[in-house]
Amino acid sequence: MKNKSEYRDMWVFIQHDGKTVEPVSLELCCETRKLCDAAGEKLAAVIVGELSEAELDKVLDCGVDKLIRVSGTGYDYLNVDAYANLFTVLCRKYAPSAVMVGGTIFGRDFAPRFACRLPTGCTSDATELVYDANTGDIEFVEPAVGGKMMAVITVPVMRPQVGTIRPGTFKYAPTGKREWSVIEETVDFPVENIRTRILDFLQEETDESLNIADAEVIVCVGNGLKGADALPRYRALAEKLGGKLACSRPVFDRGLLPYKLVVGQSGVVVKPKVYLAFGVSGAINHVTGFTDSDLVIAVNSDPDAPIFNYCDYGLVGDMDEVCEMMLDRS
Amino acid sequence: MLNILVCVKQVPDVNLVKIDPVTGSLIRKGVPAILNPLDANALEAAVQMKEQYGGTVTCITMGPDQAEEALRECLAAGADKAVLLSDRAFANADTLATSYVIASAAKLLGKFDLIFCGKESLDGATGQMASQLAERFDASQLSCTEEILSLDEAKKTITARRELEKGVETAQAQLPCLLTVEKTNYHPRIPNLKSWKASRTAEILRYNSQTIPGLDPAQIGDPGSPTKVPRTYPPEAGSKGVMIDEGNLDKSVEKLAGLIREVL
Repeated sequence: MKNKSEYRDMWVFIQHDGKTVEPVSLELCCETRKLCDAAGEKLAAVIVGELSEAELDKVLDCGVDKLIRVSGTGYDYLNVDAYANLFTVLCRKYAPSAVMVGGTIFGRDFAPRFACRLPTGCTSDATELVYDANTGDIEFVEPAVGGKMMAVITVPVMRPQVGTIRPGTFKYAPTGKREWSVIEETVDFPVENIRTRILDFLQEETDESLNIADAEVIVCVGNGLKGADALPRYRALAEKLGGKLACSRPVFDRGLLPYKLVVGQSGVVVKPKVYLAFGVSGAINHVTGFTDSDLVIAVNSDPDAPIFNYCDYGLVGDMDEVCEMMLDRS
Repeated sequence: MLNILVCVKQVPDVNLVKIDPVTGSLIRKGVPAILNPLDANALEAAVQMKEQYGGTVTCITMGPDQAEEALRECLAAGADKAVLLSDRAFANADTLATSYVIASAAKLLGKFDLIFCGKESLDGATGQMASQLAERFDASQLSCTEEILSLDEAKKTITARRELEKGVETAQAQLPCLLTVEKTNYHPRIPNLKSWKASRTAEILRYNSQTIPGLDPAQIGDPGSPTKVPRTYPPEAGSKGVMIDEGNLDKSVEKLAGLIREVL
């Protein structure tokens, strides 16, 4: 095995659908750029298939030093078999020190898989990335144990350090183009070895209520929620304010609202103008999902609830009662 | 006849875990250990497949002796067999080491057509076990399965509807296939008294690092885990928000509504 200092360059997987690059891939390019600067390493973007000039520009604007452009068979649609093979082949050939993958459903499907095959360590859902110059390792910092504490995860021996990061965790703040080089790679994966086929795809029947990432107002219910019967008033308030209803993880665990409405580290990261938290305790894995909101208001019957430490304004009171009163006033 | 495996985990009910305000460490005492909630959905999907196509559902877990309780819960809810992998040498395993041990032990139990596991655990919540298990079992993967539509035993394929970010995909995968399921269609069943009683005395198959043949000590437990946790610390407390108290709730809410109006 190589010494870990022989592994150089940090990679970002550019997920795209042939037309647009997933925002999370760009966010990761920007954040990984900082790590590369700290480590004195190069930032490489791995792009499979064709991409328009405009989209390519967005990637290059993040200060990419290298483009690894991949062609070959097996990549017509996103599939774990071809992509896990591709990254295994590429990592063995080029020995990058890190590979960052957007925490989309596909990213979370294939990244741990090629990490297992290499094998190396894979982390998920870090909310902060820090380069430690003493060890040469990336510190993946993330809330743990339901947000009760923060854990620093590292991959101290093996390489590459693989991480999947949730969309919205980092900002797309391009620092501008640098000089870049292009590596062309052809890696064919036999199409007949792809074990999954897509028979049909139905664009979400625009159930916009489930798309909370860009909502301007979010009314979030937490574990203080008494039950399904109590939900309509929060939905009504969200609507009245021109926003969306969301929830914290325990509400999903109780089966009251779908996963797509969970705000937090293992859910959706939101940045609304107004974040209204009703009956949310304030576990840090939830808090990391809304820290970029302009105005955070928390309502909780427990004056000692941690959420009051993460809000702009707090109100101690019964969540249902306060919601009803706000409905009357909005 | 389908041979189905469900990989489960016993977890502390993290919602009840508290932090010692003085030492900043976790207080686990008195916190109940439960079957990871999303594993119960995975089990339900497995049991439904067995009911529809016939076969056997085996539950497997790696953990301390008390994880037996989670397995008994699975037996009560429709599993036929339960396997506990317990050894001090398995401790401190990350997903890579855990998936290795589970897959190595599963080889002793036969070949599986379907493998189910929860989407993520309540405590670790990496959500990585599914794909790493799929890799270890050399299986295809269908994550986020909303509903299993059909299974073709002759062609060895399974067709399912998956709930993705931007829509609903119908996908077909070759067996063996590893699936994680959404909650919507797979609510865990409530065991009846008879199955609950039977689960109390049912035999649980046990393996340790010595009884799984050919297990590589370098790939299990702490030595086999490439990810490490060098330190933990309490989350930053943040800064206390301005508490609104206008004397009565009515006035306080009025003030809140005003603050919101200003921003919107």
